[in-house]
Amino acid sequence: MPSLGQLKLLDPSRVRVVDARLDELDVEIDGRLYRGVRPKRPFPFSHPQIVILYSGDEELGILRDYRRLDPKSRELLEQVLRVIYFMPRIRKVLSIRSVEGKYEWRVLTDKGELTFQTWGRCVRVLHDGRLVVRDIYSRAYLVEEPEKLDSRSRLYLSMMI
Amino acid sequence: MSDRREDDALLIYPEPQRLPESVRSALEGGEEVVALAKTDMRGGDYGEDYVVLTNARLLVVNERLVEALPLDKVKSVSIRGYINTCVLVAEVDGGQRSLAVFTRGRLEVFDRLVAIANNIVIGKVPYQLLKEQLLNRVREEEERRRLSSTRAAILRLLGLLRPIAPVLVATVVVAVAIRVVGLIPPYLMKILVDEVLTKGRADLLLHVILGLLAVNLVNTVLNSLNAYINTRFNVGVTNTLRARVYRKLHELSLTHYDRFGSGGLWSRIVDDVNRVQWFLSVAFVPLFINAAMVAFVGVTLATLNPWLTLVALTPIPVSVTANIIYRKTASRYYHRLWRKWSRIVSVISDTINAAILVKSFGKEEEFTRKFEGYQTEFERAQMDVFKFEQQIWPAVGLAFTVSSLLVWWFGSKDVLQGAMTLGSLMAFTSYMWQFYSPVFGLIENVRNLQLLGVAAGRIFEILDIEPDVREPPDAVHVELTGNVECDNVWFTYDGIHYALKGVTTRIRSGERVGLVGPSGSGKTTLAKLLLHLYDPQVGSVRFDGVDARRIKLSSLKEQVAIVLQNPVLLDTTIAENIAVGKPGATPEEIIAAAKAAKAHDFIMRLPEAYDTEVGMQGSRLSGGERARVALAAALLKDPKILILDEPTAALDALTEDEVTEELERLTRGRTTIIIAHRLSTLRFTDRIIVMENGRIVEEGTHEELLKRDGLYKRLWEAQLKGLMRMGAAEVGGEARGELVAVARAA
Repeated sequence: MPSLGQLKLLDPSRVRVVDARLDELDVEIDGRLYRGVRPKRPFPFSHPQIVILYSGDEELGILRDYRRLDPKSRELLEQVLRVIYFMPRIRKVLSIRSVEGKYEWRVLTDKGELTFQTWGRCVRVLHDGRLVVRDIYSRAYLVEEPEKLDSRSRLYLSMMI
Repeated sequence: MSDRREDDALLIYPEPQRLPESVRSALEGGEEVVALAKTDMRGGDYGEDYVVLTNARLLVVNERLVEALPLDKVKSVSIRGYINTCVLVAEVDGGQRSLAVFTRGRLEVFDRLVAIANNIVIGKVPYQLLKEQLLNRVREEEERRRLSSTRAAILRLLGLLRPIAPVLVATVVVAVAIRVVGLIPPYLMKILVDEVLTKGRADLLLHVILGLLAVNLVNTVLNSLNAYINTRFNVGVTNTLRARVYRKLHELSLTHYDRFGSGGLWSRIVDDVNRVQWFLSVAFVPLFINAAMVAFVGVTLATLNPWLTLVALTPIPVSVTANIIYRKTASRYYHRLWRKWSRIVSVISDTINAAILVKSFGKEEEFTRKFEGYQTEFERAQMDVFKFEQQIWPAVGLAFTVSSLLVWWFGSKDVLQGAMTLGSLMAFTSYMWQFYSPVFGLIENVRNLQLLGVAAGRIFEILDIEPDVREPPDAVHVELTGNVECDNVWFTYDGIHYALKGVTTRIRSGERVGLVGPSGSGKTTLAKLLLHLYDPQVGSVRFDGVDARRIKLSSLKEQVAIVLQNPVLLDTTIAENIAVGKPGATPEEIIAAAKAAKAHDFIMRLPEAYDTEVGMQGSRLSGGERARVALAAALLKDPKILILDEPTAALDALTEDEVTEELERLTRGRTTIIIAHRLSTLRFTDRIIVMENGRIVEEGTHEELLKRDGLYKRLWEAQLKGLMRMGAAEVGGEARGELVAVARAA
């Protein structure tokens, strides 16, 4: 078993996010200011609370649970995470029709009504039962609780799984 | 929000009136918009920003100007990719600056914008050249879009098939005649029932029977004729189209081979031509036949009994609606069935291919459970398909049965009341069934016409390509001495990415020049220009002072030879492959060339020696053997200028050493350009040209370049270090050969 001691774990109380811009942050760690820091989730689906901070290619450290940052820092970090991990949540499948070898989905999401196209094999079932639908541009759409969708949406989804 | 391709997501040199007001007001006097790209996000949500590249600045605009970076402050532009989103980033003094966010749906658009911006800020492409090439590309794309509409494609296809128009007309005429003749027997049966059997007119019996016999004979003859004409038509279509596309293939430059890929071109010559032929025979010709039949039979039915005709038409709307519903919905059920089946196949495949993993981790039980679960789901999906089909087709069948019974009901009443004869009723019911089939046929034909347009459009995409190099009528033959000059050569394959940027060099007759540089630095492109496979957009390539554009292509092809990194051989004998550049070469010449290329010994070990068939693309030979045959072919041609593109890449180190020594001897006094990654291959060259990002960055001898501490020295040291490591690990075998070669060169 590799040693966990090699991991650079950050103490949330010593990390302060001071500014955010699109996909970048200005972060103070142990009193030192880093500009243009980019946060990345090593497990974006299974453990989204874990975030690794990068300055260029250099790993600044791992936040085991970014939610333990102070409220202002957390808010700024979440603002950037929303850009980087932008992913509409599908609430309802309105229709799926076949168009020239592809499938055209019309869905209702938390971001409004969307239309996108997928190839035949496009739904991934995550370990916790959530579904990730990928369109032809490789954009992902999340179905958080498929079993709670209306029966028509479930019927459409079952055809693609 | 829809992800359908938006034509205005990227505008290249847009007319001012196409610019949004906020962008227009953000421009300064004299500033020209090169490209405008629209994002589909703003911050962490869907939205719209404009990224505008002008001749002076890179702007981000929404309702107002958000960001303005002067291009002389921008070092490069790039894209950072995430799961769904991408961020446009500019490298400026003081680090990187994130400018705009968009989803992956716009990646292609922003990739083009980034390439154009980098041409200005990194490539320093002359502005006029950049503008001219981009506008050319825009015009080409617009023209292609215009010509690829379904209607335009079908009309052009018919124009192309003009030589076989008589066969096309004959196909339609004979097919319609068969259907019309098929309408006569019910009429004769009507006479048989009404006149012969009911009224006892025995004198007509023989006429009716002879009539039926005659109809059958005519039908047999017409069917044979139809089969013959159909075959002529199908062969005519495929041969006409395939010949046109095949002839075009020879006009295409290598760029187009790269763009479509060998599979893509293959599919257009074989699959799309077959598809067009198939759609013509199942959609275009039957369209006329079905239309004629609907008209003929419709009129006949209406003549026999207009009221009954209306009754007979009632199931058609039901059936058309059912067909539409089926076409829309069935794919979902079948797709689901296919997905469930593919999961079963995937578990079986995992079990077999990863047997060791399954067994060593004790996963047998889990896999079995998974398999059984998938089986149950597949069974359920199969039942759903069955239920779905049962909801549609029995209902359609019932509609036809009811309508048929109604026809009999009302028809029989008419017969009993004397308003219609029994024969007419029998003829009516017979015609009625002949009416349904062409109606459904017409619906199918219209759908297939769309597909015909798509397939024809793909063929025209090839036929419409303009050749990259055109020989002027006054092109001359030049006896080359081997002097080559490149004068400020700029070249782009796609109008956006520049492979050569202002390359200027002179190679003297008999000089041996090495061309080195990282992948994508422009070495092979330069070699292709020396073969005159392309014309540069700016500057010129001159042979003995004559611009390549003015020299006959055949003249250059006779005197310039290239040996490619992955040589391609023809599917014929080794001897013919060696003699490919010199038809009529004597056996002695072939052997001499093979010996010079160190190919003779391996050839003689083959049972059929020089008469060995090499197979498709030389597949029966190893990579090294193919390289040596290709080298022999080039040497036999005795070219004035020899271009070797990684000639020893496929050889093992010891053979490389041998071949390099041989090359040194063979290229003496001959203008030779050698592209090489292994710098040891270049040890005998007179001069080395070092390329990077489409430019010549260094020139000189091996020793001079090592003293300069530039890219060549870095490449050399990296290679030496790698070989030393290899040598330390295994002093012997291949490593020894490499070390020997490098040591000699050093």
